[in-house]
Amino acid sequence: MKLTETTADTQGRIKTLGGDDHFMNRITAIGITEGTRFQTVRNDKNMPLLIYLRETLISLNRADAERIEVELQ
Amino acid sequence: MSNRIALLGQPNSGKSTIYNNLTGSRQHVGNWAGKTVEKNEGSYTYNGTKYAVTDLPGSYGLSGNSDEEIITTDFIKSGQSDLTVVLVDASQLERSMFMLAEFAALGQPAVLVLNMMDVAQNMGKKINAEALAKKLGIPVLPFNATDTKDYDKLKKLVAAELKTPHKLTVTPPESHHNIKADSQAKFEWVDALLSGVTQTETGVYKMSKFDRLMTRPVLGKIICIGVVLLAFLVAMLIMSPFMSLGQMIPQVLHDPVDKLLTGWNVHPWLTSVFSTMLPNVLFFVISMSSFVFGVNIVFGFLEEIGFLARAAYQFDGLLSKLGLQGKAICPMLMGFGCTIGGACGTRVMDNWGQRMLAMSIVWAIPCASIWSIIPVISGMFFTWWQTMLVCVGILLYVVITMIVVSKVFSKKLAPKETRSGMIMELPPYHKAHWKHIIKEAFFKAWDIFRRALGTVTLVSILFYVLSFSKDGDVDHSLLYRVGTFIEPVTRFFGMGWQTFMAFVSGAFAKEAVLGTLNAVFMGSNSLMEAAFFAKTAKADTAMLGSAMTQVIQPAEALAFMFATTFNIPCLMALSTTYKESHSLKWTAKVALFYICNALILSCIVYHIASLFM
Repeated sequence: MKLTETTADTQGRIKTLGGDDHFMNRITAIGITEGTRFQTVRNDKNMPLLIYLRETLISLNRADAERIEVELQ
Repeated sequence: MSNRIALLGQPNSGKSTIYNNLTGSRQHVGNWAGKTVEKNEGSYTYNGTKYAVTDLPGSYGLSGNSDEEIITTDFIKSGQSDLTVVLVDASQLERSMFMLAEFAALGQPAVLVLNMMDVAQNMGKKINAEALAKKLGIPVLPFNATDTKDYDKLKKLVAAELKTPHKLTVTPPESHHNIKADSQAKFEWVDALLSGVTQTETGVYKMSKFDRLMTRPVLGKIICIGVVLLAFLVAMLIMSPFMSLGQMIPQVLHDPVDKLLTGWNVHPWLTSVFSTMLPNVLFFVISMSSFVFGVNIVFGFLEEIGFLARAAYQFDGLLSKLGLQGKAICPMLMGFGCTIGGACGTRVMDNWGQRMLAMSIVWAIPCASIWSIIPVISGMFFTWWQTMLVCVGILLYVVITMIVVSKVFSKKLAPKETRSGMIMELPPYHKAHWKHIIKEAFFKAWDIFRRALGTVTLVSILFYVLSFSKDGDVDHSLLYRVGTFIEPVTRFFGMGWQTFMAFVSGAFAKEAVLGTLNAVFMGSNSLMEAAFFAKTAKADTAMLGSAMTQVIQPAEALAFMFATTFNIPCLMALSTTYKESHSLKWTAKVALFYICNALILSCIVYHIASLFM
């Protein structure tokens, strides 16, 4: 499922990342890589997503979050 | 042997705090050659030896192709520094060690500083620095940026390392062409290094109660706007004593200087330059830099405690429609107070293009000065409810201008593929380091003061020459001659020579508009005095009103108000934008756009309003 479809407080792992090199560079440099454990903290309509990953609270643009596939645990 | 060190770290790693505390007042801000990225260099002396410090631009990695990353990589590779101090956040060790993984491939001497050890310890985190140092082959220093003793340790370590430098002995992560694989390899490298050194927490994250409120879609936005308004008030409060002092300069200096120079038989023209113009220039520049001081203290505080990140999260959706990102919200709200403050506030944005775009959009926001003159002028021609309509009209056009500015400039400044939409960490709330905030605000204010003094003096002299007349009568000035000569043209845009002159003086300082109107309609003050004493001399608005309504039509007044509001903000905002963006070309481009925008708008408003009025 897409990261944008997860609800608050669910935990899982990042499955696949899609997008161009520029996006890939930025997203992986901040720590979002395939296989990383994450927790969705907030997912409100028309707002960026808030996820917790590698001990960091990260806010992600919705359009960007659409390109991230995850699996729940 | 030279002693040059460079600081490398991700955003929020505390790099600028360490840089400021190391170098104190011995700092220099410049540009990286051929780039618009700010270059911060400073120095400190330890045990009689001088050390040069370069603060490398903050980025999350080094392999991307942003200006910041290319500059950093080239700088380290070139060996322009003898030692790189790599900073990582101990409370988010695994994630921030990515920078070291990027650095490893460059094969240069380094030390690793584990910053925010205090935060990590509060979280109950244990980090075995010695074990990490052994694995890496370079010294590892646990660090707390608020502890002065730690700086001594750092300086001592740097001195020792410059004598006998260490390079990483651990094999750098395998490099891959595919970015995904490359980053994956780097994080695996970090994981391997950290095993046995520390434990990365995997528990469930609980948001604090306050953060729960701050991140609520509607309530959070209301809190953000409230905090920024409050911040603006505090900034005004901080600046007001400096302002009052500055305001006294023209009053205190005018008479003695006048007397002295007249006594020396200096020509009256030159006398007025020294007794009226220069003290006022000084006053302008002092008010400008004191505002920058106030704004920087407030913004520095809001950024350090982690508030700005929350505000950015709240407004990202709205602002991304303008080609900006969430971080632009604070400077924009600040723009309602003062465009200079807004332009300085864009410092929080990390991408130059978006920063320039944000500044050009901030220009569209009418500042407090405009809000103080529009009702006065409108009140001369219209009833109170019509004045309300004028204000609503202005607000609507603010939105239109923002959209147009974004459409015109975002393609060049923030093309879709370079837009850093929001991928941003929300750092935990921190305590503010007041000493650091005040110090930095002082340097910024001093910097603006130093640089602006020249620009403002130059333009003031120009304005002085234009408005000069032997007998002080406006009708004999160059400006009058030029004004009446081009009146057929300005008429087309809806303004006669008088309003056009006030429009021009508004580009100089918005406060000058009323004084100029006074001068051209009443002939009471000389133009120069009108412009320079605008803040100190009070124009009699009732008298001015009756004089103006006899000469000009409501349609012209309306056109003039719109033209003045949407013209370039003021000389000081212009010069601040130039200083902040380091780009004369772009400042000029945006200024040209605003002048055209104001004239076209004036033309449209005049001709439409003429049909009804």
